[in-house]
Amino acid sequence: MENTRYAVWFLTTVALAIAGLAGFNALAGAYILHHPAGGSAQTLSGFERALKPVWLEQIEPELVFVGSSRVRDGFDPTLIDPHLKTRSFNYGASSITPYETRRFVQDALAHRSVKQIVVALDAFTGNGGAGEALPSFDETRLAVTPAGDPTPRRNLWLFTTRYLSGGALGMNALAAWSLAQLKEGQAAADRPDIFPAYAHMTEAVMQKDLNYRRARVMRMGDGAAQELSTMLSAACGAHARLTLFLPPDNMAIIDRYRQSDAAGLEAFKRTARASVTQHNAKCPNKVALFDFMAPNALTRETLQNGSSRDYVDLVHFRPPAGLWLLGQMGLDAR
Amino acid sequence: MPFNSYPYFVFLAVAVFGFRLLEKDAPTGRRVFLLLASYAFYAWWRADFLLLLCGSTLVNYALGCEIERRRMQHADRRALLIGGLVFNLGLIATFKYDTLFVSTANDLLGLGLPVPHFFLPLAISFFTFEQISYLVDADAGRTHNYGLLDYALFVAYFPHLIAGPIVRHNDLIPQFRQIRAKNDDLAAGITLFSIGLAKKSLIADNLAPFADAIFNAASRGTHLGPTDSWLGTLFFAFQIYFDFSAYSDMALGSSLMLGIRLPVNFHSPYKSASIIEFWRRWHISLSAFLRDYLYVPLGGNRKGRARRYLNLFITMLLGGLWHGANWTFMLWGGLHGLYLSINHAFRHATKGMNLAPAWRLPLHAASVALTFAATTFAWIVFRAPDLTSARNVMGGLIGGGHSAVVSFSPLAAVTLLLLFAMVWLMPNSMELMGRTRASLPSPYPDQPVMPAKRLAWRPTPVHAAVYGLLCIVAVLALSNLKPFIYFQF
Repeated sequence: MENTRYAVWFLTTVALAIAGLAGFNALAGAYILHHPAGGSAQTLSGFERALKPVWLEQIEPELVFVGSSRVRDGFDPTLIDPHLKTRSFNYGASSITPYETRRFVQDALAHRSVKQIVVALDAFTGNGGAGEALPSFDETRLAVTPAGDPTPRRNLWLFTTRYLSGGALGMNALAAWSLAQLKEGQAAADRPDIFPAYAHMTEAVMQKDLNYRRARVMRMGDGAAQELSTMLSAACGAHARLTLFLPPDNMAIIDRYRQSDAAGLEAFKRTARASVTQHNAKCPNKVALFDFMAPNALTRETLQNGSSRDYVDLVHFRPPAGLWLLGQMGLDAR
Repeated sequence: MPFNSYPYFVFLAVAVFGFRLLEKDAPTGRRVFLLLASYAFYAWWRADFLLLLCGSTLVNYALGCEIERRRMQHADRRALLIGGLVFNLGLIATFKYDTLFVSTANDLLGLGLPVPHFFLPLAISFFTFEQISYLVDADAGRTHNYGLLDYALFVAYFPHLIAGPIVRHNDLIPQFRQIRAKNDDLAAGITLFSIGLAKKSLIADNLAPFADAIFNAASRGTHLGPTDSWLGTLFFAFQIYFDFSAYSDMALGSSLMLGIRLPVNFHSPYKSASIIEFWRRWHISLSAFLRDYLYVPLGGNRKGRARRYLNLFITMLLGGLWHGANWTFMLWGGLHGLYLSINHAFRHATKGMNLAPAWRLPLHAASVALTFAATTFAWIVFRAPDLTSARNVMGGLIGGGHSAVVSFSPLAAVTLLLLFAMVWLMPNSMELMGRTRASLPSPYPDQPVMPAKRLAWRPTPVHAAVYGLLCIVAVLALSNLKPFIYFQF
């Protein structure tokens, strides 16, 4: 009898908790999706690898941004969509690996709604090997396998991720809480304390960043080059266009890359250019490449009155700058 | 279907519910139900390989029956037994070792043969070994004229199918015929399952990224520094400990919910004070299998000391190769063979020596630490994808390189201390559940599972809340599907 009561108590506790979790995730998910500033939640750093594949499925965007935290911070769909009269999606994730970037691009390419994918190439730097991903990345959520075949039982995995995972709970809680802090008529840009993608770099942040990234290099390892090549192959006959760009890190930090490893930086750019040239020579679906990792109106920016207009820190550009970049890439004339 | 996934939770709930519904009124029906559920469990992964499982079951069953019949008639059955062994070993060699054998032959002899790449059927190492033991036992008169249904269920029974424990026919088949699924077992089973789930999703899966990052760096040719090498090695030692322990708990817990006890497979191996003891606590069902079906037939300890050490070495070498088609596994097995031989030689040399009581505890602690160091060192070759990477990690232990893949933070130090405390000082899940006899007894009588004196599980509301909470937290951590390490074998 004792054991029966125990089993009943145990199972009831667990069932109630799971029901509560699913209920919260369902409600929070709907709230985020229908909030006027809901797109800004995609710039938040949290459990993005868990929930963004689900959001991509729900939003059915035409324009997708893939890359590291530079992309995650720099492209806000709430800001972009009215300007470009499109439906965009930010697929950026912190410390994204080359493999994850390739897989997210493959995922976006597999969605019929997606017509344009913009990829920041800093994701292909570092010495990470081919096929490496961070722990919160999960293949089963993506539309296709690494070989390009449909992922088996994907709807089931998306369902469990969306309603029953702790990752979804974390991301939904963070996003819903952040959006709930916005008062009537406020946008994410009005609350940089909650949406850090809209913060302005200060002198202190800049100095801290210069110190923190003092030994940073921009070098592409063999594994990353292999992933870039695989990503381009996946886009060869795809219906969606691919636009690649070298991100507009501030000149102060680009100078550091040069001091630390000028040859590595040049080799990275050369490999990227060569890969694109090779791709365009053989594929019907041409890829565009833009190099913003060079002196330009954005990267030359210096602090005005101790504050930056376009940067959060030396590598993370703010969403208005992201909009400007899209213009430079010719994507505003859609 | 991985144990740590929502589909498995639903599957398990349906299986337990269906089994218990059929239990009293349809004793054959419940076994048919369990067999079909087990096949569905296997087919979830790849339905086409279900044919292989069924085919292998039928062939072995037919051979076993014929061997048994001939034994009763005192007729010659050697050809059948040899044929069965060739069939099973051929199957495993074809699917698992073909690539290794052909590529090695190409490398050594420059043959230039095309290297085959068969898809490795899930669980083939486990169900093949289990059926080999059945054939050998049939020949030795240890089988009891089983029906096909019972035999097929013994092979395919889902809690042990994918990654063990390696069960014997006489462990399971008698239990299939008893009606025993009681609420006591259900309560203990869900608790044991939850403990396993927590070990997997809260501990093993959180150690994996660090160990992976370091071993991946080593395989890319990064010359590892001491911090990376030490942390990578220690984190992997704990990752595989909790991963395999979690799997064993979840397998035993799943089975216990159905009222069927599986053999104990994991019994705090890092508490071992010798390598001999380690193998009586780590993957117990495999070591007992190797002892009974390889070491003893090779001659065991019956042909002198030198032969004993050779037999041990061969047994462990092949036991290592059983884990996978890679020379690293064989080297790992060889290392353990060497450790065991040294351990036996040391025991022989120190036989009859008496130790002052004051020395016993410190010497025991030193033995535990030394055993842990030896097994952890061997894990390097087990985890490394190739011998070069293994050498790289080992070189880093003595300050070979200057990499900084991870940094030694206070958090890492605290984590390691907690992990050591858990594996050395806490009772294990078998001991916590000791009063419920959650498993079959250990095949090593000198390593019995004794019920824990503190923290022992009891079916009280407080324990229901604590373990329920643990289960919920573990479920919340299930954001990503991470397979068990032993699923690949």
